[in-house]
Amino acid sequence: MSQFLRDYLTVVWFGAIALVLGGLLLGVAALLRPNKPTAQKLIAYESGVDPVGDGWSQSQVRYYIFALLFVIFDIEAVFIFPWATQVERYGAFGLVVMLIFLILLLDGLAYAWKKGVLRWV
Amino acid sequence: MIASLLAAAGDWVAPTLDYHALAPEIILAAGIFAVLSIDLFLEPEQRWITSALSGFVMLGALVTVGTLAVIGDDTRSMFGGRYVSDEYALILKALFLVAGYIVVLMSSDEIERGRYHQGEYYVLLLTSVLGMVMMASSRDLLSIFVALELLSIPAYMLAAWNKRNSRGNEAGVKYYLLGVFASAITLYGMSLLYGVTGTTLLTDLGSAITANGRFSGVEVIAVAFIVVGFAFKISAVPFHQWAPDVYEGAPTPITAFLSVASKAAGFVALVTLTFVAFPNAEDVYQPFMWVLAALSMTIGNLYALRQTNIVRMLAYSSVSQGGFILMPLTVAGVDGVGESALKAVVVYLVVYAATNLGAFAVVIAVARKTRSGEISSYGGLFGYAPALGVLMTIFLASLAGIPPLGGWFAKFGAFKAVLDADTGWGYSIAIIAAINTVISAAYYITVMREIWMKDEPTGDTTPIRTPPSLGAALVITCGATIVLGVLPDIVGRFGDITDLTGALGR
Amino acid sequence: MDVISDQNWVLSVGTFLPLAGVLVMLLIPKREELLHKQIALITALATLAVGIYTLVQFDYGQAQSLQFYASTEWITVINSGYTIGLDGISLPLYFLSMVITVLVMIYSWDHIPSPGNPKAFLILMLVLQTGMAGTFIAQDLILFFVFFEVVLLPMYFMIGVWGGEQRQYASLKFFLYTMFGSALMLVAFLALFYQTGRESFSIPFLVENGINIDEDVALWIFAGMFIGFAVKVPMFPFHTWLPDAHTQAPTQGSVILAAILLKLGTYGFVRIAIPILPQAAVKWAPVIGVLAVIGIIYGALGCLAQSDMKRLIAFSSVAHMGFVMLGISTLTATGINAALFGMVAHGLITGMLFFCAGSIKERYHTLEIKRLSGMLIQMPKLGWILGFCAMASLGLPGLAGFWGEFPAILSAYNPAPQLDVTLFRTLMVIAALGTVLAAAYLLWLYQRTAFGEPNPEFTGHGHAHAVGAAGNDEHHSDIHDVNIYEWVAWTPLLIAIVVFGVYPQLMFKVMDPAVTQLVGVFNP
Repeated sequence: MSQFLRDYLTVVWFGAIALVLGGLLLGVAALLRPNKPTAQKLIAYESGVDPVGDGWSQSQVRYYIFALLFVIFDIEAVFIFPWATQVERYGAFGLVVMLIFLILLLDGLAYAWKKGVLRWV
Repeated sequence: MIASLLAAAGDWVAPTLDYHALAPEIILAAGIFAVLSIDLFLEPEQRWITSALSGFVMLGALVTVGTLAVIGDDTRSMFGGRYVSDEYALILKALFLVAGYIVVLMSSDEIERGRYHQGEYYVLLLTSVLGMVMMASSRDLLSIFVALELLSIPAYMLAAWNKRNSRGNEAGVKYYLLGVFASAITLYGMSLLYGVTGTTLLTDLGSAITANGRFSGVEVIAVAFIVVGFAFKISAVPFHQWAPDVYEGAPTPITAFLSVASKAAGFVALVTLTFVAFPNAEDVYQPFMWVLAALSMTIGNLYALRQTNIVRMLAYSSVSQGGFILMPLTVAGVDGVGESALKAVVVYLVVYAATNLGAFAVVIAVARKTRSGEISSYGGLFGYAPALGVLMTIFLASLAGIPPLGGWFAKFGAFKAVLDADTGWGYSIAIIAAINTVISAAYYITVMREIWMKDEPTGDTTPIRTPPSLGAALVITCGATIVLGVLPDIVGRFGDITDLTGALGR
Repeated sequence: MDVISDQNWVLSVGTFLPLAGVLVMLLIPKREELLHKQIALITALATLAVGIYTLVQFDYGQAQSLQFYASTEWITVINSGYTIGLDGISLPLYFLSMVITVLVMIYSWDHIPSPGNPKAFLILMLVLQTGMAGTFIAQDLILFFVFFEVVLLPMYFMIGVWGGEQRQYASLKFFLYTMFGSALMLVAFLALFYQTGRESFSIPFLVENGINIDEDVALWIFAGMFIGFAVKVPMFPFHTWLPDAHTQAPTQGSVILAAILLKLGTYGFVRIAIPILPQAAVKWAPVIGVLAVIGIIYGALGCLAQSDMKRLIAFSSVAHMGFVMLGISTLTATGINAALFGMVAHGLITGMLFFCAGSIKERYHTLEIKRLSGMLIQMPKLGWILGFCAMASLGLPGLAGFWGEFPAILSAYNPAPQLDVTLFRTLMVIAALGTVLAAAYLLWLYQRTAFGEPNPEFTGHGHAHAVGAAGNDEHHSDIHDVNIYEWVAWTPLLIAIVVFGVYPQLMFKVMDPAVTQLVGVFNP
């Protein structure tokens, strides 16, 4: 086997291990676990409460938009805190960069506002 | 803990920024901000302003690329070589910006008709172009990845633009899921590479890989993963399945954008990595790319032959053209071939962009009347819309590689590069490519036959009104296609794009 | 190879002038049909004027050197230049292409084939003219290739849009054959480039250096070019596209195809394949000779089996190009001179025959030989012209066709010293038989179509069959003798056929110095 092909052997091993490992875990589990299905066991799991209605139901997309906005500003804080501890060292350059960052975020907020995302109808 | 980390960072020095070199990116970023803000306060009938403004932003950025090319011929490097503006980067930035401008021209009428979210459309388009422009300059695994995401995420949304249409939804979801999957694979490869070498700077990686004379297994996996990730982006077989569905479902200007600019960006990353980061890894990537190129050409062509829908046909044709663009990279590591391989890829990308954008512009124009993407709806086009018929013929002939249109020189360069290598790999891919050239002529000519020799299927031969912006896009692309074919030196001689390979003193 | 660079703008102007006309025509709406015809004709005439100027300025004392030579950088990355020049070999063909274009334009004045649209038709013709003229002046292989390919699409559309009933099939066949041939040709050109040190694609440079290529390699490269050119000629067994293309093409397309396009292939042999790779040419010559003679006999027999006049003329082209290739394969000055003469003569004569066929088709709406007869009674002038062309085509001494065939046969008696004399003398005998067959099919054709009584179907007062009755009135009203446009278009060709037949030296003396220099390598 040439040097070059031997190099590729690693890839083969890698794939093989992935397959074997996955198969092993699932296979062993399938062999060991007792399998006694009952109607009660087969219903959808909803944190212990009995499921109500159809699984395919519409949900309010507004929750997600709010969550998204929240996460954006959360992340913003993650960036700003470390910067704030060292703001003197970064000097004017650091200030300008952070201002640009904040203006961009504000633009996003303005956009969301104008589009009516913040209204809870 | 944070305090100790910060203390360890030592004295902080503000990076020196070369504002001229960054001007295209700054203009684009400011443009995105402006379009997004202005759009909020526009009345519906004023919405055309966003499209005009986006066009001007692209052109403004293009002007600064021009001044960069003219003033000062040296390479401008920032952040310790992580962000470089050299001739290679400038050509490609110009390519992305011009392609972006043409897509704006193609869109303005198409999107106005849709009557919704025009501002957002152009913001996303500009953002994606910004990502591509960054990609051209990135010389670091991280900046490459950031650029990749910046260009991809808006593209996912644009692909799903026809959201009232199930095909549009399919396009968006498919593109998003597969794109994210590919990004993950790329990122996995990159992280492995970083783990082994301890650096993300491409030039350092170049010397770190095989520093001890031979590959470690992890390096092989890392290189392979990175190539696979970008193979998705450039829709190389066998990672191409998303392309036809996405191309069909997305709005046609976006299809043009994806098949040209987004694909070119994938190639740019691949080329940069190949030449700067993997110069010693040719034993890994060359055979890999050989397989990708051979499969892309052949399978792409065979599927294209069977299509009845023009957009799907162009999608498979673009898969096959991607194989041709990959072809020079299969010999990129052979001594003395690097430069001609690099030039072949860049020239091909430029020519292909002009031609393919033109073909899609015709598709948009024709669809305005026929409301159909079937190839048979092109019947009799030459009779009632001779200009569009001739233009489509020119673009298809260029794709087929018939002189004196641009495509011939692109193909010629690719062939020359692989023959230059004088290796078995090179000759064999050349033969496969030669056969595929003839096969591809068959399906391009099918469309020409419809245009010239068949009758309009519905008998409706009212002329097609082409809006002025679309007309401008057609004139630009057609002019470029012809000029590049007659005077190929314009791109063929673009200075020494050897800077890229020269970076390592090869 | 010597070069003379005086007045080196002449060739570029002559080649690209038609494109200027194209640009003007593109700006004019297509309903202005008369204006389009005028512009196209004026452009073609202006191009011809440049051609005549070239003819006058050509230094006949130095016909072996490339004149009006110009060379500038074109594609520097592959060292290919815009190198053009004209010598005794290319001058007649270059000029012929211009003449034929003008005549075809005149003929088109009232013969635009269905479905009309003179704008597109004439634009394609002008583009064709640029491609043809460019091929004959190109002195750089890449430039040659580009011009060679420029011809492809216009001809494809000309056949495919304005052709007969089977036009789509015929045009596709034409396209694919040619595409296949030129792909191999390009590979051969690239191989030449690499084998001579990657320095230049210029033909004079390659002529000097091609001889040093290793013989085994040279044989393969020659094979690539051989197939590329042979498809275009067309030589047996690559000829099958020709009868279809000719039969289905509109008259103008057939004329250009026969008069010029087929010559691109033979010209390629004389200009590129043989001078650059003489060592391989010597090895391949017997193959070319044998295939040429098979072509002669096969073409002649094919003619005898045809029932359609146009198809018959197409097969006669195969036979005539066989004579041309036989002349080339002898690698002697006589043979190649004859071949070049034969190319021009075939262009004039077969072009004329296709004109006749087109006019007959226009009048009778059929070219079925069975149904045509008594043309001499119904249309005496057209009948006589057809007879004249048939005589010229079968090689009657005193007309141009003779000087293409006779010396070609003669030269096979005494081929180049490196070649096998017995083989070529055998070929000579068979080729001579071919001339007899040529006389047979042409006279037979003439006898069946021109002699006898006119077919009652077309006379208008015969009691025709019930089926044909409906069409009768339209038919016979069309039947008129040669009209003015036809006279203007045909007279120059008819005169040229006689002039070159009586005084062949007119052309031989232009070509001979260049040909002598070319074959010098075979007679050390």
